[in-house]
Amino acid sequence: MRSTFSLFIVICLGHVLLISAQVQSKSGLPVLQSVAFGSFARAQQLTTGVADTGRSIWTNYFALRGAARENAALRQRILDLEVQLQEQQARGSRAQTLENALGLKESLVARTLVANVIAGNPQPGSLTVMIDRGTDDGVELGMAVIGERGIVGRIIAPLARDAANVQLIVGRSAAAAVTFERSNTGGMVMGGYGDPPLRAAYVSSLATVQPGERVLTSGQDGIYPRGFPIGVVESAERNSSGAREITVRPAVDFSHIDVVLVVLDRPARTAPSGK
Amino acid sequence: MKLTSVVLTILVALVLQVTLARYMVGGRWAFDLVLVGVIFAALQWGPVAGMFAGTMGGLAQDVLAGDVVGIGGLSKTIAGFLSGTIGQQLLLVRPSARAVIVGMATIVHRLLMIGVFALIDQQWPAVSWGAMLAEVIINTSCGLIAFQAAAALPNALERQRMSRRSSLSRRNW
Repeated sequence: MRSTFSLFIVICLGHVLLISAQVQSKSGLPVLQSVAFGSFARAQQLTTGVADTGRSIWTNYFALRGAARENAALRQRILDLEVQLQEQQARGSRAQTLENALGLKESLVARTLVANVIAGNPQPGSLTVMIDRGTDDGVELGMAVIGERGIVGRIIAPLARDAANVQLIVGRSAAAAVTFERSNTGGMVMGGYGDPPLRAAYVSSLATVQPGERVLTSGQDGIYPRGFPIGVVESAERNSSGAREITVRPAVDFSHIDVVLVVLDRPARTAPSGK
Repeated sequence: MKLTSVVLTILVALVLQVTLARYMVGGRWAFDLVLVGVIFAALQWGPVAGMFAGTMGGLAQDVLAGDVVGIGGLSKTIAGFLSGTIGQQLLLVRPSARAVIVGMATIVHRLLMIGVFALIDQQWPAVSWGAMLAEVIINTSCGLIAFQAAAALPNALERQRMSRRSSLSRRNW
């Protein structure tokens, strides 16, 4: 029994190491690397702290010659930079106006490929499906997948020659840039919530988003083509902390997907259409 | 531990899970037949078999799911080991009692998954308690069917063998 328990502990530790090697910390590093780096950094901080204290005593108390002169030069530099910043802001504003005037928004008819859904995800709760089209058919990572009623998701790894994985828009960590049709404001819709599974974020607080309003892709994410329905606003209420919560009911019935279309042409990033 | 039986159990469970999950995408009903297979192996052949089945099934599921490899492996290894140990200590024989273990293991497994995801994402994930309840009910039912079948199969084979033997002896006489 003791050897069995030891084996159990070893296997569990192996799993934890395996997970740590893949998962990225907030800094973008793998957790294992982050922990090792963090531990080393603490020791390094201690030794550096001692050295820095000595140096700071010297710099702050004994070597202040020329500080007033340097201060005056820096003030002058700040003034110069502020003037330059204002000039750049004015140029940016003019460029934006010109872009809008030229109507740089593209409305391309995208090429699509019909694909059948052949399998679900073996992990309950992970919302991906497998389709019977792969790299041989021109399918690439990040391509948008649409259904008869609207956006289904996008192609994610792993990608095979004759099969591909589709991350559903309602899945955890899925997101799309959207436009609210009536209020004509922009935002992001993210999946992975309960019921309804979509929430809108980064929506202007000045915009009057109302229940029943259609939510369409804006094309700004460079994945989903512009103008395809994602869903309908189910509720737009303020929570106890005053922040607005917008829930979106997806247009596609994800409990029954048989045939989908893979959009082979990537949309060009369009200019913001929101207010 | 019957290695071939464990591998076969997990393979069958995995194929069934992938095939049936295709009809349940995004629906309210969730189930984890691989977990049922792991608990089945644990209760039939002991904690080492449960641990091995959990590791194999969980890792295979993680790889196929395209998620972080190891989360399902860790959760299922723990669930398999605990179920095997409980099964060994309590000497559970009746299929209904074993099915209850499947239900309990489903809860433990799901909570472990939520906990690991919370650690990774540094935030509490959205939990659908309704979906969890549905998963417990479906997994328990599938476990009951599997254990009933496993208990009935040897008896049925024995009855068939006996009837064949008696008919042969009658013919000889």
